[in-house]
Amino acid sequence: MQRTSFYDQISRNKRDSLILTIFIVALVVALVYVTARILLPEFALFLSVFAILLMLAQVQISYNYGDQIVLRATNARPADPVSNVYLINSVEGLSLAAGIPAPSVYVVESNEINAFAVGKDPEHASIAVTTGALAHLNRTELEGVVGHEISHVKNFDVRFMTLVAVLVGLAAILGHMLLRMYWYGGVRTRRDERKREGGLNILILAGLVLAILAPIASRLVQAFISRRREFLADASSVQLTRYSEGLASALEKIKNFNRGKMDVSDAISHLFISDPNRNPLDELFATHPPLEERIKVLRAM
Amino acid sequence: MIWLAGSVLVIIVIIAVALVFAYYNRITVLSNRIDNAWSQIDVQLKKRADLVPNLVETVKGYMKHEQKAIEMVTQARERMLGASSLKERMDAGNALAGALKTIFALAENYPALRASENFKLLQEQLDGIESKIAYARQFYNDSVLSYNNMISTLPGRWFAGLMGRTQQRPYLEIPEAERAPVKVTF
Repeated sequence: MQRTSFYDQISRNKRDSLILTIFIVALVVALVYVTARILLPEFALFLSVFAILLMLAQVQISYNYGDQIVLRATNARPADPVSNVYLINSVEGLSLAAGIPAPSVYVVESNEINAFAVGKDPEHASIAVTTGALAHLNRTELEGVVGHEISHVKNFDVRFMTLVAVLVGLAAILGHMLLRMYWYGGVRTRRDERKREGGLNILILAGLVLAILAPIASRLVQAFISRRREFLADASSVQLTRYSEGLASALEKIKNFNRGKMDVSDAISHLFISDPNRNPLDELFATHPPLEERIKVLRAM
Repeated sequence: MIWLAGSVLVIIVIIAVALVFAYYNRITVLSNRIDNAWSQIDVQLKKRADLVPNLVETVKGYMKHEQKAIEMVTQARERMLGASSLKERMDAGNALAGALKTIFALAENYPALRASENFKLLQEQLDGIESKIAYARQFYNDSVLSYNNMISTLPGRWFAGLMGRTQQRPYLEIPEAERAPVKVTF
């Protein structure tokens, strides 16, 4: 990792966030507009504006409260200053090395080795580590993992990922709603009424395609960018700890030890250092690159 | 024709001004980051100095025959608190680190001391601060590297010249004492 390109990476991350957000927002707005045109042509414009406002509100909420929501959803509790003193010290030390304020430290009760970071910016960030990680990783391995999470915070990955999670969720919900409407014939009656109106069939077709494709497309984009970001965070972690073997052997332990059964929602699985839920579709939708590949890249550093 | 030449000239001037602004801000930010990095080290150095009287108090009762080692710690601390320049402060801080290492090495010979809860907590705290100082120093040197790269490579070098910032900032050396293992004399 070239040092000088590091800050370029951060601004690239911010730009990616913007482009991707616009892309998914456009998809969702198109979805809403087409649905509205089919069902209630008189209110199409009004409904679209309403949907955009709703979306902005949701993004705003997730931007400000997303970290609290995720911490609560995973049952994270604040790290104990006496028994978790080493974890707290590593977080504070590595954030000094990264030049960011020290994030709050949380512990999640789970046998699996895992960790995640949340927060809209480095000033409002939190890092959570599972009890499994504290039990099974040695100090250099734990520092590698903490360094990876600190890098996510420093690179504004966390903000981006929170935004993406909300938008992808929204696309999925809307697509699902639209499909159900088609399914239960809500459209058919309307179509009979407006048979004379030209182009309606094309609209219905477009709506169908959007309803099916929008959720899939946004998931694919999310997975693609998320994977690239994991490599970047691995590299930055090494830049902080100056010891690539720590993170490499931590990932090796994760590979051999974790069963991928942490039972967390798919909406937040990409926040973790290693995928907490494994499923057969991983090849396509995985938010994380294969562990073997990450280990190989780290050992080559 | 004149109109065309005029607008080209205006665009060039705008780009030039924007570049000067961008580089001026970038160089200033990088330079401020170094100062901020130093204050981070300083905070940790102070925290360590604050723990020392506590440690001396705890240790004194057990290590009756190590007056000299204890004396060294106290002296190094006073020297550090009195230091004014960055370099003096860092040197005294390094001396303090060395003296503390000696104390902890000597403590190996006093099982009663090592078993004391107070001592264990102090040792963990000082270890933590020690690694934080190392990390803060790493960030300091990283910041110096970005700054020095900025003002010594083109085109940053030209803008730095305009700003009169041609001086490379010095790195913090890793002290000799920390590279070598601790020597304990009995």
